[in-house]
Amino acid sequence: MMKQMEVANVTKTYPHSGEHLVALKDITFNVHQGEFICIIGPSGCGKSTLLKIIAGLDKPSSGEVRFEGALLTGPHPKMSMVFQSFALFPWRTILQNVEYGLEIRGVPKQQRRNIAQEFIELVGLKGYENLYPKQLSGGMKQRVGFARALATDPEIILMDEAFSAIDEFTAETLREEVAEIHGETEKTFLLVTHNLPEAIELADRIVVLSARPGRVKSVVEVGLRRPRDKTDSEFIHIHKSLFHLLKEELENSVIRHKIKELKEFQKLHDIESK
Amino acid sequence: MVAFFIVWEGISRAHLIPAGKMPAFSTVVATLTICASDWEFIYRVFQSFFNLSLGIFLALFIAMPLALCAGLRNKFDVTFTPIIMIVGALPDLAILPVLVIWLGSGNVAAIVMASVCAFFPVYFTVREGTKDIPHDYFNVANVFRSGKIDTFRKIVFPAVFPFLVSGLRISYDFVWEVILAIEIIARVTGIGTFIDSSAHQGAIEYALAGIMAVGAIALSVDRVAFGLLEGRIRRWKE
Repeated sequence: MMKQMEVANVTKTYPHSGEHLVALKDITFNVHQGEFICIIGPSGCGKSTLLKIIAGLDKPSSGEVRFEGALLTGPHPKMSMVFQSFALFPWRTILQNVEYGLEIRGVPKQQRRNIAQEFIELVGLKGYENLYPKQLSGGMKQRVGFARALATDPEIILMDEAFSAIDEFTAETLREEVAEIHGETEKTFLLVTHNLPEAIELADRIVVLSARPGRVKSVVEVGLRRPRDKTDSEFIHIHKSLFHLLKEELENSVIRHKIKELKEFQKLHDIESK
Repeated sequence: MVAFFIVWEGISRAHLIPAGKMPAFSTVVATLTICASDWEFIYRVFQSFFNLSLGIFLALFIAMPLALCAGLRNKFDVTFTPIIMIVGALPDLAILPVLVIWLGSGNVAAIVMASVCAFFPVYFTVREGTKDIPHDYFNVANVFRSGKIDTFRKIVFPAVFPFLVSGLRISYDFVWEVILAIEIIARVTGIGTFIDSSAHQGAIEYALAGIMAVGAIALSVDRVAFGLLEGRIRRWKE
């Protein structure tokens, strides 16, 4: 497999009341072409920030991201993104929403209409072209989100909690369809999620991040055959070990938080007793 | 509305109020038809409407870029908006006498006054609308590598448009009141002075005809122009 993307020593810090708050620390991993990568971690571990950096929407404080060998300096034409909030433009019809990326690239009207139509059919929304997003359910909105992301023919599709704002039953169907699209194309998928079964169901590899500051705690290979069965004993085994990894992190972060609190309390106490 | 006119007609016909103070509805309508064929009257209505429209357009051209800046750039907002708030808190008509001294008692003063009054609703609604744009919309634009102009045309403007329309509607209704007040106070020729001098000369039916003409125009523009715009927005807005 070809190494398509390298994330090398990515660190992200934010200035925060005079100090530097470290959101991500020394994140390093590779992505191969056609892989399905899931990034999981406890909330606040900076996984969405990491995805933004990979998308070129945010810059790392140090370290770098390389795509096909070249340093990534901003959004890349071969990447597109699907958002938790769907981020459809409410004033555009479904067709116009799917056309958006092509429109920005200056694809002629008839051509982009045809392409958009094709992807609307792919995600099963034929007949809905002229409706507005408000007329669609959450699951359908995200289908539009996928159609829009696929329409520009990207090599990497980034997904930020793409299934989290949809009811579980609809999300399950959509995940299956995304897995199918992944199977049928050479495209690479990168999904940020906090949903363990979702990650195991979809991923070739799972990058587990630690609690703040986010580091790569472990990279878990999921060698299960597709389509994956959640009741499979190997599936459950992976789920258990991932759950333990994350639970450890959560406890760590809670303990760290408690210690910090205690220290502050101690300081206050010292000041008062002086 | 119809009931109101019938009651009005009935009260006048029954001579409950002397006709010199309250002519019948039918008399006023008859006067209005006479006025409507009088060029002087049409010119006055047109002059008021023109001053009002130009004032609003001026306000739009000044308020819109400032409001967009305030909505998009937090630094600009925290320095500039408090100033706008203080100025906006002044009763608008308070500056009129000074304006008249600076600009003379003519259309220019009326237009400037109208645009001062129209400025605040437009500024605050557009600023609010700009702040309201979900950050993910900009992420979508950036992922597809949209240029600044495209982002403005295809995202900022359509997202802010409903707010702009409601700001303009508030301005429009408010500026009608202000423009008539300016005409009457500063003697700027228009439908306001027509109503005022008719009333002073005891020609109540003419004053009422003027009021009805203003009401009809104000209401029909409000319903037709803004109604159409808001109808379009309602098609997509949640």
